[in-house]
Amino acid sequence: MRLLQTQKVTKYFGGLCALKEVSFNLEQGEVMGLIGPNGAGKTTLINIISGAFHPSQGKVVYHGRDISRLKAHQINVLGIARTFQVVRIFKRLTVLENVLTAMVDRSKEGPWKLVWGSFFKRVCAFKQDPEACATAEGLLASVGLLRYRDEQAENLPYAMAKRLEIARALATRPKLLLLDEPSSGLNPAEQNEQIKIIRQINEQGVTILIIEHVMKVIMDISHRLIVLHYGEKIAEGTPKEVYSDPLVVEAYLGGEAHA
Amino acid sequence: MTGGSKKLLWAFGAALALALPWLISDRYIQHLLVTSLIFVIFASSWNLLTGYAGQFNLGHAAFFGIGAYASALLALKLGVPPWIGLFLGGLLAAAAGFLLGIPSLRLSGPYLAITTIGFAEILRLVAMNWVQLTRGSLGLYGIPPLPGFWGLEFTSELTFYYVALAGAALALFCFRRLTRSEFGLSLQALREDEPGAESIGVDTNRFKLTVFTISAFFGGFSGALLAHYQRLISPDLLSLHETFQALTMTIIGGLGTLTGPVVGAVLLTFLSEGLRFVEDAVKIDVRLIIYGALLIVTILFMRGGIVGLWERLSAGRGRDQEEG
Amino acid sequence: MESLFLQQVVNGLIVGSVYSLIAVGLTMIFGVMRISNFAHGDFSMVGAYIAVFLLAWVPGWMGWVGSLLAAAAGVGLLGILVERGVFRPLLTRWTDLDQIMVSIGLFILMENLAQLFFGATPRTLSDPFGGVTVNMGLVSTSAMRLLCFAMAMVIIIVLEVYLNRARMGVAIQATAQNRTAAQLMGININLIYAVTFALGSALAGLGGVLYGTLFAIYPTMGAIPTLKAFVVTILGGMGNIRGAIFSGFILGVAETLGGTYISMEYKHAIGFVIIILVLLIIPNGLFGRSEK
Repeated sequence: MRLLQTQKVTKYFGGLCALKEVSFNLEQGEVMGLIGPNGAGKTTLINIISGAFHPSQGKVVYHGRDISRLKAHQINVLGIARTFQVVRIFKRLTVLENVLTAMVDRSKEGPWKLVWGSFFKRVCAFKQDPEACATAEGLLASVGLLRYRDEQAENLPYAMAKRLEIARALATRPKLLLLDEPSSGLNPAEQNEQIKIIRQINEQGVTILIIEHVMKVIMDISHRLIVLHYGEKIAEGTPKEVYSDPLVVEAYLGGEAHA
Repeated sequence: MTGGSKKLLWAFGAALALALPWLISDRYIQHLLVTSLIFVIFASSWNLLTGYAGQFNLGHAAFFGIGAYASALLALKLGVPPWIGLFLGGLLAAAAGFLLGIPSLRLSGPYLAITTIGFAEILRLVAMNWVQLTRGSLGLYGIPPLPGFWGLEFTSELTFYYVALAGAALALFCFRRLTRSEFGLSLQALREDEPGAESIGVDTNRFKLTVFTISAFFGGFSGALLAHYQRLISPDLLSLHETFQALTMTIIGGLGTLTGPVVGAVLLTFLSEGLRFVEDAVKIDVRLIIYGALLIVTILFMRGGIVGLWERLSAGRGRDQEEG
Repeated sequence: MESLFLQQVVNGLIVGSVYSLIAVGLTMIFGVMRISNFAHGDFSMVGAYIAVFLLAWVPGWMGWVGSLLAAAAGVGLLGILVERGVFRPLLTRWTDLDQIMVSIGLFILMENLAQLFFGATPRTLSDPFGGVTVNMGLVSTSAMRLLCFAMAMVIIIVLEVYLNRARMGVAIQATAQNRTAAQLMGININLIYAVTFALGSALAGLGGVLYGTLFAIYPTMGAIPTLKAFVVTILGGMGNIRGAIFSGFILGVAETLGGTYISMEYKHAIGFVIIILVLLIIPNGLFGRSEK
């Protein structure tokens, strides 16, 4: 079943064309890798799908619905969550609070309803709600962060901060997870751990679109790959197909030569 | 600290707060107690907006002034009972807060700071120059006191103390509930990282408008309380210095904590009066100099203010005990 | 009617030249260091008082020229001390909020220290021309005000030349554009910060002396130049020096015209109304922002 489809998505920044008519399909349950040299437009694509930017032209269709004009928070409520290339966790909240905040059901609860809930809910203090805490702890355990439960997020080592961001994204119960370089800056042992975590998430039925530079990671976990080069899609297919594609080889080697 | 001893501490604190004006018969000190309680509400409302939600508002005096003027004018011109005026003043300030929240949807940091200052300054000029309504820089006087009931009068420092105490308790109860709930966590997420908050479904625009409105309500409420206590108000209530007062109290006490503004407001009110005796002796106004210096020192060397320091100390002691 | 209008435009340009001068210092500091200094106008206040005391001691021309030099040097030095003691310790670990709040602390401190040292009585600067008025056809103004305008222009031009020609000036501009790149090119960032802050403060001090030729001098006067400078800076795009120069004149003229034709009472609100409108419609200011 088709979960998400981009239709000729184009994005200009000023006169600069960051993405040019990028179209692809994402099937339910797969892990799609998004690769390409620096500045190829990978993060821009994720920003557009997650609603941080709107496309200049083209559409993003999710579950048969055009979501390209929706805002980031609306898109999250529809079931698309993301992580960021540079972690954007809530530094002065504890690890548990980071996850709890993401668990609030935003489809029903606007700010005024939450204000109401501050006074008239069964458990007003969110951190004392045993059900919510149990769920959050389960999520933390699944990414191996449970022992940091009450630590301030700003004190986490980098690898743990990246995992916390994944746990926070999962707490919004997404159907589609967009991961922007989840293993950049990690050492090989941490990368392996990260692969394990991502695979587990996928096994629970979450579709994943992942940007990654570390080849080992991307080859290991993606079912299919798309290659972007200067904002254009130049290849799509299984990892094996893509890496034997002469266009891709040239793009990468050419990119290296210029760099 | 165990649950039991915490409860005991609370009970002791409550008993002390209730008994305080009877222990101190000096009317001037009772007056200081009332003033500091009003500032507890005012500073806490600023803290909700800036300390918890990260929206840097330097025009908070606008809400203070709107609440005070609205309640006073309603009573003077339309004969609205002051008890109702307290809440109407808050509601009017809340409406202004919603308005002032709109620029915050697009601006942050210094831009928001200047826009909010501008808002308060424009209102101050209106209060100065709309002489028919506000009597200009002379201010409004003869504001009716809160009417008494059950044989109680609210014209003396002693009795008004209990009104202010009830007001502060109500406000702090609300702030405690608001900051510990899903609402409060969402506000802090907004403060920490806006794109991050959006990515987990927080509608940051609506949260900003909401928190501006709520914070302004309590700011206005505290202003209205002041109006019916002093029974004399002037456009100075809307000046930058009132906002800086709330800011200094909150930061020295501890920004983004519930107890911070309480500690700061009480401490600074009494500190400044304590210094007044020194001033009488040396004939020099040192009060605000110390304010400024304390503010700088707190930000440079004591992040989290007094409450932060206290928490670090007690955490350190707890750890020592565990190890020892 | 026409002559009143022209007269007010001229008055506005004179006031505007002082706004420009003070705002240029503020915008420079913001552009290079990302500091919004709410105590900036208090540096102007210190400059004005330096002139008050120097002129009381050495009257006439000597005192006047001396005041400008002394204000630039004295306030520049004060700037170095403040940068070292207050802003630099925060440089690596501050949020926007901490930094603005520490400058508010400085504002409260300086204002009240001034009250302590200088007394609350308002002062004025003596006029070296003895109140001579210059008549220029439709408009006339005092020689003193003309001099004020001319001095402001000279200082602004010298600054422009310095920033574009001198080694240090170019390094300051480079840092404003890209801190990391400047660092990679071997520019000593701490030195740049110190020089920028000193220079920006000196400009505030000079502006303060000129401000004192137009308005009364008193310890709490600093809030007005601070707020005006922020309005100008935001209008011109924070960090944009030329934007600040132009916007200073725009604000000066808008205020005098508004004060004449709309309402004297709300003169000080005009700047705020303008920036609230500008920020809501074009958030980067009239001349764009240097930051990306």
